[in-house]
Amino acid sequence: MLAVVVTLIVIVLYATGGVFSGLRTAANTVVEPFNWSVNEVARPVGHFFAGAVNYSDVVSQNQKLRYELGEAQQRSNELWSYERQLEQESTELDVPFVGSLPTVAAQVTTLSPTSFAATVDIDKGRNQGVLAGMPVVANGGLVGSVLSTTPNGATVRLISDTSSSIGVTFANGTTDIVVSGRGVNNGLAATSVPLTTTLSPGTLLATDGLEGGLFPPGLPVAKVATITLTPGAATYNLTLRPTSDLRHLSYVDVVLWEPSA
Amino acid sequence: MRRTVVIATLVTLFLVAIQLDILSSLRFAGTVVMLVWLWPVAMGLAGFTGLAVYVALLGGLLVDTHATTPFGLTALVGALVAYGASLLGREGVGDLDSAAYWVTPALATLAGFVAPVLYAAGGVFVFNFELWRGSLLDVMVVNALAFLLFARLVTRLARTVATVGDRVWR
Repeated sequence: MLAVVVTLIVIVLYATGGVFSGLRTAANTVVEPFNWSVNEVARPVGHFFAGAVNYSDVVSQNQKLRYELGEAQQRSNELWSYERQLEQESTELDVPFVGSLPTVAAQVTTLSPTSFAATVDIDKGRNQGVLAGMPVVANGGLVGSVLSTTPNGATVRLISDTSSSIGVTFANGTTDIVVSGRGVNNGLAATSVPLTTTLSPGTLLATDGLEGGLFPPGLPVAKVATITLTPGAATYNLTLRPTSDLRHLSYVDVVLWEPSA
Repeated sequence: MRRTVVIATLVTLFLVAIQLDILSSLRFAGTVVMLVWLWPVAMGLAGFTGLAVYVALLGGLLVDTHATTPFGLTALVGALVAYGASLLGREGVGDLDSAAYWVTPALATLAGFVAPVLYAAGGVFVFNFELWRGSLLDVMVVNALAFLLFARLVTRLARTVATVGDRVWR
């Protein structure tokens, strides 16, 4: 009878916490440092013996883990590379000034093999609807026009090419200026600009889109860098800075717009 | 001789690939170093006129197929400077062994300086006057410096290639 009563009291105290809980906590607090010390000493020893006994397993497991780590690292690198590529494409193909005109995105494959021509080759051609004469734009503005095509490629003459001439205008669109390429290094220039034209450094010039012209209207081409007035002359000379970075083109958009359209 | 031509052709194709794939992107002051001119010049300085003109025409024509400039002009200019260099090379003037250490690089530098001028001048004959409008001086200086740096190395390669066969094609 006494045993039953004691058992019941113990069960009640155990279930409700109380004295036992306090005792257990106190015991744990006392024992814990020893337990930790023993574990820290014993675990490496145990691992050493386990490793010695199962050496081949450890080696193979190690190799497997290294391989998995390498794969994970490779995936991570690939992901980083894709993100960079996507970021670059998004930046360079951001061409809101094209408006509703359809475009074909293309990658620049090669640059001109000589210093005497500012051209690039792209990876889209006739099969993708790219035709000679179509304007080519990138982030910033006009970069050139398609010179020739193959079924899956095209050559683009950049606006900095010495044989390039573009009709541009600015602000209210009343004055038309002809911008000429001066080679890869020298950007663009305009000569014979009437003195009545009110230009200042930084003025944005865009294609004039005259009827029968080679480009649709409103494509940014360049900004005025310097204005030169020769004493006694009746016109300005301008040096211009292209709005697109023509030296580092990776992706471009071909505007599916034909000069005759 | 046939073996020499085959090897010279293979080396030229390899150098054209370098020109198109690497040097056209790797620009100095916006200027392309014309390895397809340095190679025949080096062959000429080594004294092999026939091979020099051959590799100039082969390399130049291959590059011209990838350029929008007048077709054949690169090849023609390469052949001209190579022939000029070979006249000196045959006399031992540009030879690596018989001439002073600096002579080969100096002659190559001169070729690198003159070749772009010949190119722009050649454009006039085909009514292409735009070649003068670019950065001609930059092109001349960069090519001259590159030719100066690599003249001895490329001339050594040219001599090795040209003397592979039993009979040397001069």
